Amino acid sequence: MENFEPKIVAFLCNWCAYAGADLAGVSRMQYPPNIRTVRVMCSGRVDPLFILKAFKQGCDGVLVSG
Amino acid sequence: MEISGIGAQRLHLAWVSSAEAGRFTEVVTNVTESVRAQGKFDPQAFALELEAAEIAMSREFLRWMVGKETSIIKKGDVYGRLWDAEKFESALDSVLEREYHKCLILCAIKQGSTSVRAISERTGINLGRISYLLADMEKTSMVTFKGMENKIPVFAAL
Repeated sequence: MENFEPKIVAFLCNWCAYAGADLAGVSRMQYPPNIRTVRVMCSGRVDPLFILKAFKQGCDGVLVSG
Repeated sequence: MEISGIGAQRLHLAWVSSAEAGRFTEVVTNVTESVRAQGKFDPQAFALELEAAEIAMSREFLRWMVGKETSIIKKGDVYGRLWDAEKFESALDSVLEREYHKCLILCAIKQGSTSVRAISERTGINLGRISYLLADMEKTSMVTFKGMENKIPVFAAL
C-alpha cells in the first residue's frame, strides 16, 4: 500500500480552476500527477451522475473545482 | 457519500480562481493526500450502493428539491411560507436518505432479495425501516407485493 497512487478525476471549470491549473503549469509549479482533468464550461455543469460514474469506473477520488 | 458508506473524504469541492496557481497546487496536493489516506476504492464492493445512488439521483424528486431550494428559502413555498436555510437543509438530508434507501431496496429486490429479512441482510437497513419504505414504494409503484412464500411476504420490483 506504500506505493499506492490514487486516481483522482478532477472536474475543472474552464474559466477558474482550469485556467489556474494552466497557470500552475506555465509557472512550472510542482503538483501531484494523480489528477485526470475533465474540463467543463462551468462547475455547475457537473451532474451528481458524473461523479457516480467516475466512482463506478474505479477512480479513487473526485475533485470538483470552479 | 456518507450515507452510502463510500465516504465523504473521496469527494472534494474547492474554489480556485484563474489567477491562483499556488492555490491550485495546494488544493491538488491536499486532495491527493486525503484520497491516498482512504486507500484504493473498489467499485465492485460498492456496486449495489453506486447503482442505488445513480437511480436516486436520476429520479425527479431530489432534483426538484435541490432546484427549488433558492426559491423556497427566498420567496417561500406554494403556501407562502418562508423556510430558513437550516430547516430546508435538514429536510433535504432526510429526503436524500429516504430516496437513497428506497433505491437500495429496489436494487436488492432486483437482485433476488425479495423478503424483508433478505433485503435487510443485503443492504444493512433495519427491518422496521424497510417495511415502512416498502409501503411507500408500493404506493408509488416502485415495487409490488407478490404474495406469500412459506408464510413470508415476498415483493417484486416494477
